[in-house]
Amino acid sequence: MISGEVEPRITDLQIQSRVHELLDLPVCTNQMSSAIYHYQCPNEHTQELNNENTKKKPYNCPHSGSKCDGTGDIPWLLLHLRNDHNVEMHDGRSFSHRYVHHNPKHLHHATRMLTLLDCFGRQFCLYFEAFHLRKTPMYIAFVQFMGDEEEAMCFSYSLEVGGNGRKLTWQGVPRSIRDSHKTVRDSQDGLIITRKLALLFSSDNNSNKELKLKVSGRVWREQ
Amino acid sequence: MVLIETDTIECAIDNDEIHLNNSNNKFSTTKSQGGATVVISPATSVHELLECPVCTNSMYPPIHQCHNGHTLCSTCKTRVNNRCPTCRQELGDIRCLALEKVAESLELPCKFYNLGCPEIFPYYSKLKHESLCNFRPFSCPYAGSDCPVVGDNTFLVAHLRDDHKVDMHTGCTFNHRYVKSNPREVENATWMLTVFHCFGQYFCLHFEAFQLGMAPVYMAFLRFMGDEEDARNYTYSLEVGGSGRKLTWEGTPRSIRDSHRKVRDSHDGLIIQRNMALFFSGGERKELKLRVTGRIWKEQQNPDSGVCIPNLSV
Repeated sequence: MISGEVEPRITDLQIQSRVHELLDLPVCTNQMSSAIYHYQCPNEHTQELNNENTKKKPYNCPHSGSKCDGTGDIPWLLLHLRNDHNVEMHDGRSFSHRYVHHNPKHLHHATRMLTLLDCFGRQFCLYFEAFHLRKTPMYIAFVQFMGDEEEAMCFSYSLEVGGNGRKLTWQGVPRSIRDSHKTVRDSQDGLIITRKLALLFSSDNNSNKELKLKVSGRVWREQ
Repeated sequence: MVLIETDTIECAIDNDEIHLNNSNNKFSTTKSQGGATVVISPATSVHELLECPVCTNSMYPPIHQCHNGHTLCSTCKTRVNNRCPTCRQELGDIRCLALEKVAESLELPCKFYNLGCPEIFPYYSKLKHESLCNFRPFSCPYAGSDCPVVGDNTFLVAHLRDDHKVDMHTGCTFNHRYVKSNPREVENATWMLTVFHCFGQYFCLHFEAFQLGMAPVYMAFLRFMGDEEDARNYTYSLEVGGSGRKLTWEGTPRSIRDSHRKVRDSHDGLIIQRNMALFFSGGERKELKLRVTGRIWKEQQNPDSGVCIPNLSV
């Protein structure tokens, strides 16, 4: 109807802010991110959010060894890691691996191994790497979360190495894969041991100075 | 009683006889000492002959002599400017092979016989045994300058407390905070030692800052005041943490027969990189305020079983 009154037009900006209001949780004012797949408000106003519907920044391929440029969302990355990088995926929240090398002094600097873990409906990257920390040969193992930091902080993980009557356990919070593998390694945010200690662990029934490192661990959700 | 360890082999010349395996000695000489008659068996005489007249240490091949037959150990020979210290004649390079061979048949008790060692050894293998003898006294476990004091554990604990001013604790759990306002000053190794008394035993908890290669680290480890065999009856754990992260070490305490430096350099303990230690310290990460907790308990670690691992892939 045409009249002298003009209804103010709802601009795009106003629509966005209204949507924001809907998304604000009643308890805390954190915005719901696209990582939350299901939300029910008391009045059933909002609907299940789908990952594809939100515009999220793609992730970089976490397989840093080959300086891969691949980027994409998590489902794409999982296929990419399996098909293009031959990375193994393990089901379950606990794991146990043995890293073996017959001559660890020749272990190439920055040799790293990546395994994927699938649990709690999410995926995690388990890294094991030989490197030098200011000329001292070391090994580091850590877990990163395939997703954003806010959700990563809901989890904790532990890693345990041992042998020969000794045991070292690390408990930490998985870093998001938004942080590069190198960033996490250089901040030493993981289970880190010297090669000497690794060989001490390995010397169960082993006089050959071979590396036989058992690394076990688990992931869990913090309440 | 204080024993300062020296290289001399004590010859018990006074009233004790030296008991030998070889009981075929028919010869003996008697020596009068101020009225008392002392029997000295041939072994004593030979053993006396093997004592260097200059340094009184036992002589080992090559044993030297001068033209007049006076003997000298090889160490002292380098210091006497080619003059026999007994008769002042020119020395030369004569070797006293006969004496070296006679020493082969000599058998003597371990120098720690008075501490309980019952064993007797041929002259040439005695020193090696004595370096490993289980009855030998312990060396002071203080980490700093190599303290030469030796003795039994009771004596050493009092020595640590009184002479090295080491903290003593009773109990098998601990909770320490290591504070250093300028953690960049870790170029020179600094260390701290605390002694724990539990299970009727004494344990040394070491905490040290040092350079691992070129990276600054902190290390904590436990040593047992006793032999390795007894140390294996115990297990200890150490833990550091903060900000959702935690590092736990579990292992068997090393015997104080292994020097502090040897254990440190074997990395057999809890090692934390300085960055991580500062992270655990919280705050601005400029000050070290590292809380280390731990405990000791009676348990044997079975070195063959290692870590219990669930039966999973790989």
